[in-house]
Amino acid sequence: MAEVEKLRPGYATNMAPRSIWNGTITFGLVNVPIKLYTATESKTVRFSEVHVKDGAKIEHRRWCPKHDVEVDYDDTVKGYEVSADSYVVLEKDEVKAAAGDRGKVVHLEEFVEAAAIDPVFYEKTYYAGSREAEDAYRLLHAALRESGRAGIGRFTFHDREYLVAVRALDDVIALHTLRFHDEVVDGDELELDLGRAKPRPKEVEMASQLVDSLQEDFEPESYEDSYRDAVLDLIGRKGRGEEIDLLAEEEPEQGDDLAAALQASLGKRRR
Amino acid sequence: MPRALWSGSLSFGLVNVPVQLMSAARDLDYHFHELHAGDKVRIEQRRFCSKEDAEVLWEEIAHSYDLDGKQVIVTDEELASVEPRKTRTIEIEAFVELADVDPIYFDHPYVLVPAGDSEGTLRAYRLLVEVMDKTERAALGRFVMRTKEYLAAVRVREGALLLTTMRFHDEVRPTKPVPTGGRKPAKKQVDQAAALIEALATDWDPGNYEDCYRERLRRVIDSKRKRRKIEVPTPQTEPEPVPDLMEALQQAVENVRAGRDARSRPEGDDGADGELDELSRDELYERAQERKIAGRTKMSKTELVEALRE
Repeated sequence: MAEVEKLRPGYATNMAPRSIWNGTITFGLVNVPIKLYTATESKTVRFSEVHVKDGAKIEHRRWCPKHDVEVDYDDTVKGYEVSADSYVVLEKDEVKAAAGDRGKVVHLEEFVEAAAIDPVFYEKTYYAGSREAEDAYRLLHAALRESGRAGIGRFTFHDREYLVAVRALDDVIALHTLRFHDEVVDGDELELDLGRAKPRPKEVEMASQLVDSLQEDFEPESYEDSYRDAVLDLIGRKGRGEEIDLLAEEEPEQGDDLAAALQASLGKRRR
Repeated sequence: MPRALWSGSLSFGLVNVPVQLMSAARDLDYHFHELHAGDKVRIEQRRFCSKEDAEVLWEEIAHSYDLDGKQVIVTDEELASVEPRKTRTIEIEAFVELADVDPIYFDHPYVLVPAGDSEGTLRAYRLLVEVMDKTERAALGRFVMRTKEYLAAVRVREGALLLTTMRFHDEVRPTKPVPTGGRKPAKKQVDQAAALIEALATDWDPGNYEDCYRERLRRVIDSKRKRRKIEVPTPQTEPEPVPDLMEALQQAVENVRAGRDARSRPEGDDGADGELDELSRDELYERAQERKIAGRTKMSKTELVEALRE
């Protein structure tokens, strides 16, 4: 596994993280008290909705269409629709009953080879930091790193239980929530029939050369979110009162001769 | 087969493979609607202008951004003008070693399937599958879906091209500020902990794990429909840290080797099943499920322990 920290030199590391959950990871009879931090954050430019006419903030209000009145959150219940407009009604507390009773404990019941978990199963990542009994934290981290294994357990967060994989990442313990097997689309569900479309050896050879010529080391910081930059630039221009040009779309070209296109691509790379 | 969310072409050098994109993850959660408690009518979300206290139509809404305290208003058309122009192409920029891309960068998975069944399309698709599968590489590229440009990694999974949208480097938080205090463990301790991990090692098989939350929620809805009382379980208490790590590790390894639960304690000493008291109701329920104990759904924690001891 690559090291996130090493791959991102110069990244500001002075921000103080705020934990979102306290609990205990156990393996065997060893209990490791941890704090959890979110590992990722979206930097997509977020706007708030305003009324075009007066620039005033838009409020979302709960509305009962039958009585035509605003409704307080406390005056709502949860409805599971069994047929059109027919609901099984649950109080918010009753929904919580499904959370189970694991509370703030994540038992690592078994350990698998970390690299064997296809990343398609990874959903959200958290960093686990040490809280107290810190020697136990360092020990679990060292053992996970040494063995290259990930511990599998169940984690309860906001009244919902998740399957998690716990592995060593850099100097910390990372906790990934996992998708369940039936939540991931299998290859055979796609009914791909590629049998009759066997590429010719020459095409495979040229494609391999093209892949080789485009081979790079993965350096995450060499990819910037250009769309985010463009939106921020637009906001800047608009803020200075500039006129915004509205552009049209462009259709891509379609290649029809596979070998000729590969050959032309290779030629282009060599130049 | 899932629904296509996007169609266009995967562009690789000068080769264009017409593809359709669909989600590789499906939502199997039970979803609820918000209802008005009194009359069980479905709640609507309505937009109101905070100044006029009047309802506002969708067309009258713009996007506002706080630029250093100054409100900048941007319209849909203006946002559309900065969308990248090549909106129908996934442009592969580079190939990287798949093992070098830590999964923390992966966001949402999609599958790419050939669009149409022309021989040329299928052959180009298969060519890419074969070459990438053999070399264990991922292709990195960009594409635009709806209004956003994404960085994406394309790789092979189960004979198909899997596209995963990626987080940008500054969307992955640094690990440095996370507290990792404590003394560096002695080699003997690490070896013992690794031995425990090996004792609990198994092959990764996603089919071994079911979504118990989904199943419990299904039971809650079902009980409610049958007008049964819903019991909210009491969460188990957090265990205290152990004073002697080495001793805890040795005991756990011994437990596993003797076929006992790794967490059973010798002091408990009320027979071989002493560890049952340590388990949560859900864990007990799962064991009861394995042993097909009748009437388990309605059993309390104590009843489950008793049934499992029989």
